[in-house]
Order: sequence, then structure tokens, then C-alpha cells
Amino acid sequence: MKKLLLLLFAFCFTLTTGFAQEKGSVLIKDGNLITITNGNMPNTDLLIEDGVITQIGNDITAPRGVETVDASGKYVMPGIIDAHSHISGVDINEWTNPVTAEVTMEESINPNDINIYWALAGGVTSIHLMHGSANVIGGQNETLKLRYGSDMDGLRFEDAPRTIKFALGENPTRVHGQGFDVQPRTRMGVEQVIRDHFDAAIDYQRNRREYLDAKEAYDNGNRSTPPVPVAKNERLEVLVDILEGEVLVHTHSYRADEITMLMRVFNDYGIEDYTFQHANEAFKVAPELKKNGAYTSVFADWWAYKFEVYYSTAYNASILNANGVKNSINSDSGELIRHLNHEAAKAVHYGNTSKQDALKMITINPATQLGIDEKVGSLEVGKHGDVAIWDGHPLSIYSKTLKTYVDGKKYFDRAEDADDMRLKVDAEQDFDEASGRWYNENGRHSETCLRGAEIRFSKQGMKLQGN
Amino acid sequence: MKKTAHITVLCFAFLLMFASQGWSQSSPAEAFKNVTIHTADGKTIKSGAIVWRNGIITNVGKNIDIPFDAYVRDGGDSLHVYPGFIDGHALWGSPDIDEDVETPDEPGNPGYVRAGIQPDRKASELLQTESKSLVEAPKHGFTTAALGLKGQMLPGQIDLFFINGKNTENLLLEQGVGITAQFEEAQGQAYPSTTMGIMSRFRQLFNDAKALQQQEQYFASVSSNYPAPKQNKVLEALYPVMDKQQPIYFVVDTEENIERIFMLQDELGFEVVIVSGKEAYKQAEELKERNIPVLASIDLPEEPKWRSEKEDEDHPEITEEMRIFRDRQEEAYKADIQNIAKMIDSGVKVGFASNGLDLADFGKNLTVLKEEGDLKDEHILQMLTQSTADILGYGNQLGNITEGRIASFTIFSKPFIEEKAQALYSVTDGNLIEFEQESSEE
Repeated sequence: MKKLLLLLFAFCFTLTTGFAQEKGSVLIKDGNLITITNGNMPNTDLLIEDGVITQIGNDITAPRGVETVDASGKYVMPGIIDAHSHISGVDINEWTNPVTAEVTMEESINPNDINIYWALAGGVTSIHLMHGSANVIGGQNETLKLRYGSDMDGLRFEDAPRTIKFALGENPTRVHGQGFDVQPRTRMGVEQVIRDHFDAAIDYQRNRREYLDAKEAYDNGNRSTPPVPVAKNERLEVLVDILEGEVLVHTHSYRADEITMLMRVFNDYGIEDYTFQHANEAFKVAPELKKNGAYTSVFADWWAYKFEVYYSTAYNASILNANGVKNSINSDSGELIRHLNHEAAKAVHYGNTSKQDALKMITINPATQLGIDEKVGSLEVGKHGDVAIWDGHPLSIYSKTLKTYVDGKKYFDRAEDADDMRLKVDAEQDFDEASGRWYNENGRHSETCLRGAEIRFSKQGMKLQGN
Repeated sequence: MKKTAHITVLCFAFLLMFASQGWSQSSPAEAFKNVTIHTADGKTIKSGAIVWRNGIITNVGKNIDIPFDAYVRDGGDSLHVYPGFIDGHALWGSPDIDEDVETPDEPGNPGYVRAGIQPDRKASELLQTESKSLVEAPKHGFTTAALGLKGQMLPGQIDLFFINGKNTENLLLEQGVGITAQFEEAQGQAYPSTTMGIMSRFRQLFNDAKALQQQEQYFASVSSNYPAPKQNKVLEALYPVMDKQQPIYFVVDTEENIERIFMLQDELGFEVVIVSGKEAYKQAEELKERNIPVLASIDLPEEPKWRSEKEDEDHPEITEEMRIFRDRQEEAYKADIQNIAKMIDSGVKVGFASNGLDLADFGKNLTVLKEEGDLKDEHILQMLTQSTADILGYGNQLGNITEGRIASFTIFSKPFIEEKAQALYSVTDGNLIEFEQESSEE
């Protein structure tokens, strides 16, 4: 028990002292490498130096001072990437307006969330911390690396592209149309809100540019009358960035008709890089998605929690994959994120998707959707050392993560998994309260995309499962 | 005729001048003698005396000359005099928040007031003079307070007052020493409803204020052919903040929210004073680097119950897991209580703010700070007096008992931090209040 205590303190010490994007080095010997992009490589070594994979091969010797981990009989795969998560969020929904593009989850990160550690224990190394789905154009999302123990800034995935949340269908129409009696009340209204705001952004961009040009001319003496100022608009600035292709769009959607609608809108405005989240009916329009180069990020088999999600199938991922749509499988849950490998395995089980393709759905495909596929998502020389070691094949129900590394630094080790892994201790919280696990009470429905906005639903006589 | 009038005016002026001078000289001095005087720097003067006239301390020390006209009170060497405590951000006399709010027609566009954006409100104009706290505060040693308002994101201006019960409203020292801000969402169903929403709202407010200010400047600079700017009291109230003439008193506790303030400060460029700052020690280095002072809360966490329990029958078995948990809980408890000490050690300027703390907990919490907070009496006194005065910009006028300072001090029956110490007199801006002594069990 003393040893356990020492380990705990040692862990806490490393957490508090070694934060913010610290990079590590490690040699993982003789593992069964699942590279994702270059097949499987049995009994192969993988060397990570200063956070980057520098060598993959046989008989690699550890540079001086670099720890060697024996992975013989074990499986080594890239860290899982969850393209839809709400763990480690402070607030999830700024749900009060149909469009809140100006808010960003970058400013809503809770680095102390124990869910980060639990996700690491499931081999996850990166998440897409998303805004909720209560509004048509919600807030901007933030891609994180699970460097548990880092501060807000230390969790951010450096140089990951900006992304934003859109939401179609029942959530925004119920919150705003039914709840507040403002547009949108219908799916038609949802489309109109998007079009109106894009048009407003185009107008704003022109007006603002004209003002800034006129101001410059006036300041330089090239204009006699001063211009009337056009204030910088935080919301419309982000919409302009979307139109200019600087922000990837991730859209909460379920039905085939609304998915098709949005592709039409995006085509009209020249928006090219986008992903449909959830997309339970995407299988119906898989060829159209492929044609438009759209991505999908779906649940393995989670549905029927509201009317628009009744028409669903466990074959969704497999059908999309067979049609050449780049698809990922996500959690949208603090519980599912701990075993996304099982969720990927369901595509193999139900739809006969190959194991390789199923694993892509939790690694390189979500990386592509987040624009980070050149850095993570596969075991390749030059990519980040975001790696998990498993005691069996990751698609087996019996397999567990043994160790998880981010940038070559170990953030989870099953052998050192103490009872209390909280980063921040509340002096007023007693043992019973603190040692409880939220998922015992809330199941998979906690930490989902309606957090903070549930009240709108219960008030309208509808209750989310588990709430 | 004209000349005569001039002479008459001059005569009156002379008369008035002499009259006022004569009046001021004739205003009697007051003094306490045979008292123990505690200065803000922790020094004590035993059997000392303190003399003040016209609201200013004119002499302090041992064996000093007391003017012949002074009204003298003899402390009999048993009373203790302390500089008046200063509250850097109190909510005394603020109207309560109206909890009964309706959902706006457009929750996403609720208007400034409904969103809690009211930097134009003034504490002095809304002061509820009947407030019990204004009567109670001097009994706890307070003579001065920066009064803020209850509210949400931007509740209003902070006005500095001498505190003296109902009469406080006549004792305004300075209006607008700062404006209060906090990460407090709009009430009910209205924007902003999240911390990230508040962050965005701050930026937009500054953008709008900047544009309006620019338009006003343009309008003033041309003679014609330019549209008149629309007056906007809310945005105009932000100009002094944008121009760094007025700091934002940001009420904030967590390490992460303090970091969010740094982000806003870097972008928008304003002066800031942290109010409350329960986890501010975790950002001490950065606070020092940025020269941001903290008006610290002493709203301390409850002591874990098991600490005062004996090996009791209710919990006969303490598991190893529970024991580790308790160790960590205790560590967290101590860290919270040592917040102020750690900040002082790191070189952060720390004053005091009650910010809603129940005055009844004031003495009790000071005792905890002394016993477990790694603070000595003099540190606590310094925080409550000179340091807070410095932060408020009154370091030369308030916060200590020395010659030339404003006469604001309190006379206690015992050293103030001791149990059962009672304030007997409060001198606020030179005016003395005598308190009825509560019955003592001794």
C-alpha cells in the first residue's frame, strides 16, 4: 500500500511539475504494430524521440537515457481520436441564440476533468471538444490532446485547424422555435437561418473592409471626410472565416433530407470541407456525400432517443465506408469514449467492414476530419508519438489499454492506476461524493451535446433518456 | 459706484477667508491617550496618544503634546487602536438582484440591462442607506469601503465611501474607483448564458465602444456632413476602462478563470484588480509579472468534518483509499487557507474584499487565517489596511495611523484578532461613533 501511495504522489508530482506540452521519448520493443496506413507489422520496434516517431523497424536500440518498454505479445496502435466529445468542457451550450459563432470551446476547457484520464485509459489521445447542438450555428470547437495535468493551453492541439459546430433538425427548432418562438421553427427555417447569416456575413465583410479602407485613406490625408465606423463583429467575423474556408464545419444532423439540404447550401456558398456528425440516415445518401467530398462521424449503434433518430441502423458506418465516404465513429459521451475500440468493432460485427477500415474510423479518419491527419492517426515516422499499447487486439472485447502516450510522454499506465487520480481536490467535497462515478448515475447520457440546454427539452414535455 | 462695489466684494471675501480660517482653527482637536496604537506596519506604541483635528491625524506617539483645546478620552492603557479596516470591494447597501425575471422576446438579444451589462450604474446612486451592514461594518473595524453592486457580468461602478451607518450616503470619497466585472451569466434564459459567451460579449462591447468613441471623435472634428453618433451610456461608461484610466475589478476565483482574464487583458488592454481570488495563489507568478493586485476573499472553505471528529464509532473503519483521500482533502484545505500567504510570499500585492462575505464570519475566519493560514497578526492587519489603501490608490491618505493621514481608526477592547475583542469607538474621517458595549461573560 505504501508503494501505491508513493506511485500516487510520484504521479501527482509529475502532473504538477511537468505540464504544458512536455514531450517524451520511449522505445517500444517487439510489439504487434497496427500502423493503420501501412498494414500490421508483427514483432516490430517503435522509437519516439522528443514527442515524434523517429524509427519503426527491427532491432532498434534505445538512445542513451531513453526508456525501453517491452511490448512482446502486445498490440501497439496510434492513439484513438474522438471526433465528437464534450468531456473536459466547462459549458457546452451557449444555447440562447440561434447563431453563436463567436463563442469558442477554446475558452470553455476544464483541464481538471477526470474524464480525460478515463479516456486515456481507453487509449484515446485526442478529442474534438465540441460546442453543443442547441443552435443552428453554435460555437467553435477545440481539438485537444489529452495531456492530463496540463493547463487549458497545454491541452490544445497546436496548429489544429479551427472548426465550428452547426446543428440541424429537432434540437435547434425545439430550443428556439418552440421554446422561444423565434426562427427556426422548422427545418426550412434552419436552412434560412444559415443562408441569412452567410448573406449578412458577406455584407458585413464588404462594409467593414470599406470602412477600414476609408479610415486609412482619411488618416493618410487622402480623404476629406471621416468615415462612419463599422464595429468589428465577433459573430460575423467567424462566419466570414467559414466562407473563406478557414474553419471546418461539423454539423449535428440525423436525417437524409437535411444532410442533402446542407450540402446544397454549402455548394451555393462554396464551402468545401465539412463533416456530418451523428448522421444516422447518412447511409441513405452515401453516394451524394461521396460526390460532395463530405465526411461523416457516426455512432456505432445509438439511436431512438428522439423522433428524428428512429430510422437508424448499425450498418450505417459500413455502408458509408463501402461507398467511399470517409467515416469516423465517435462517442459524444464520457462513457463511450472509454471503449471506442468496441464501437469500431461493431462495424466489423454488423457490416463486415474490414478490421483495418474499422480501426481507421477511430484513428486516421477522425484525424482527417479534424485536419490533423498529417500529425496523428497512424504510426508513421515523423508523426506525433501518440500511441497506446494494448494487451490484445484492440477490436477484441477482452482487450485493455496498458499504457497511453501523448507526444511520447506516458499519461496512463494501468500498472500505476491508483484509486484517486483527480487533479484538483475540492476541500469541501467528502469521500462519498468524490469517489462516486457520474456514469453510475447518468450512464452514457452524461457529457453529451445537450448539456446545459436540457431544460429546454424538459420544459417542452420531452425528456432525454437518463434525464 | 463700480469701484465701491468692488471694494465691498473684496471686504466680504476677506471676511469670509478669515472667518473660515478662524472657524477651522477653532474646531477642537480630539484625542485618545493611554492607548496601545497598532500601526499598519505591525509596530505598536504602548501608552500612546493620538490626536486629530478636522479629520486629519495631527500627532501620534508616546509622550506627545496634546493641544489644550482637545477633547481627550483616556484609554487607561487597556484599549487598542488600529487603522480603520478598508474593504476593497464590498456589496453593502447594494440592492439585491431581482430573481424574478422574464424571458426576453429574443433571448439571444436581451438588451444590456437584461444581459447584466450595466457599467453605467453607480453604487452611490443606488445605495440602500438602511442596510444593516453599513451599521455593522464599523463594529468590525471598517471605516472605509469601495462599494460595488450585485449583478451579473458588469454590475456597475464602484464608489469609495467612509462607512458610518445611514450617514454613509453623505460620506462619498470618490466615485468610480473602478468598475466591477465577473463571469456571471445573464439571469434565466438570456445571452450570455456561459463563460465563453461572456468572453465574447466582452470583446463585442469593447468593439462597439471603440467604434462609438471613434464616431464621436470624428463628429467633433468636422463641421458638417457627418452623422451624429447615437448616445449610449453603457458603451460610454467603458471609455475610461479602454483608456486605462479606470481599472476593472474582476471578481474571480478559479485558476482557469484568472487565466481567462489574462486572455481578455492581452486582447483588450485594460487595467485589472482581482477581487476574491480564492485560487489566485496558483497564478501568483503571472499576477506579479502583470502587476495585478488581489483584493482577497477570506470566505474560507469549511473544515473537513472528520478533522474534528475523534476515532468515532460512526466510522470505525478507515480504509486505505479513504485515508489517501483524506490526506489529499486536507492538503487542499490547507492550500485554500494559505492562498493569501502564498501570494504575499510571491510578491503579489494583497488587500481585502468582503465581496458578499457575511460580516458575522469575519472575525472567525481571521482566526483561521492566523492559526492555519500562515499569516501573522501584522500580515492580516497590513492586508486590511495599508495594502487595500494602496490598491485603491489611497495609500498616502488612508490605511495607517500616522501624522497627516485621514483620521479613520477603530478602538478595540483587546487586540482585534482576539476572541471577544469588541470595537468601542470608530473614528471615520474624523467623526467619532461610540458603540454600546455588548455584555461580556468575563
